[in-house]
Amino acid sequence: MEAGWLPYVSYASASGPLRETYDRMLERPLPPTYRPQHGSVPGIVTAHGLDPLLIPRVFATSTTLNGAGPLAWQDRELINAMTSRLNQCLY
Amino acid sequence: MLADPRAVAARAATPRVRALAELATLVTETPWSLSRAHHDRMRGAGLGDDELLHAIALSAFFGHLNRIADAVAVPLDYPVERVAPAAEPATPPYAAAPAALRGTATATLAARPATAAALDDWRRYVMDRNAPLPHASRLAIARWVAALLGDGSSEMALAVDAMDTELRALVEVTTLAPWRLGPAAYAALRARGTSDEALFDAVVVASTAGVASRISVALAALGR
Repeated sequence: MEAGWLPYVSYASASGPLRETYDRMLERPLPPTYRPQHGSVPGIVTAHGLDPLLIPRVFATSTTLNGAGPLAWQDRELINAMTSRLNQCLY
Repeated sequence: MLADPRAVAARAATPRVRALAELATLVTETPWSLSRAHHDRMRGAGLGDDELLHAIALSAFFGHLNRIADAVAVPLDYPVERVAPAAEPATPPYAAAPAALRGTATATLAARPATAAALDDWRRYVMDRNAPLPHASRLAIARWVAALLGDGSSEMALAVDAMDTELRALVEVTTLAPWRLGPAAYAALRARGTSDEALFDAVVVASTAGVASRISVALAALGR
């Protein structure tokens, strides 16, 4: 377990069902631009690591919104970037 | 956008981009302030109701990712070429809704059945359990979030339950000032022995409730 402001669980530290969840997340079809350069699961997934059963539910919802229309990719990126900047999220 | 995201809504090149930026801004900050006039203007900018629904749900969802990333302070995945300004804790919280919205929405999430099903599964998982936080605390958090955002939908239009001051403060930061998530926001609950798992759970419940309430409120507000 790694120390953030709250603990999170990196891929290297994960075992059991959480590791299996991370492996399933790595198998998800993802555009190359969204694949982290470190080659492991994205940090936003590991940030949910205290609750392994939450992960597939959150990212299933993401797939329905970030992987489908009617808004085009550019529009979706605009919405996501605007939301992040307004929330002052640096991730 | 990095320096002044609100300027995109005012100065983007096309009415359509300005409308999407304005919608993301209002869903994120004050979804209860949307109105039929916004709906008509955004339709006039070329956005269909299905696109408005998509934008609302996407902004509400991405706000959850922001909250969890900030709550945990997970490291970045990418090298950053243009660094955004650091979060400013003194930024005032988003304004809470003055009243609960009730009315006929312009659309419902049922128009995106896959999203509705996934969000419902997520919400049920978060709400229908008893640990680390007890079920009663989950309900109290969701109802307080609904009140803060003006969610008057039938499911949430119930009296706000009693909730201790420290937990209520964390719920308010999560909902209205996510840039303040961090050690200072956890200190009071940690001082009385709240575990990291329970703190994370509280943020997750509030953030999940916020996704659902932001969508519900924005859709209701666009119809009035």
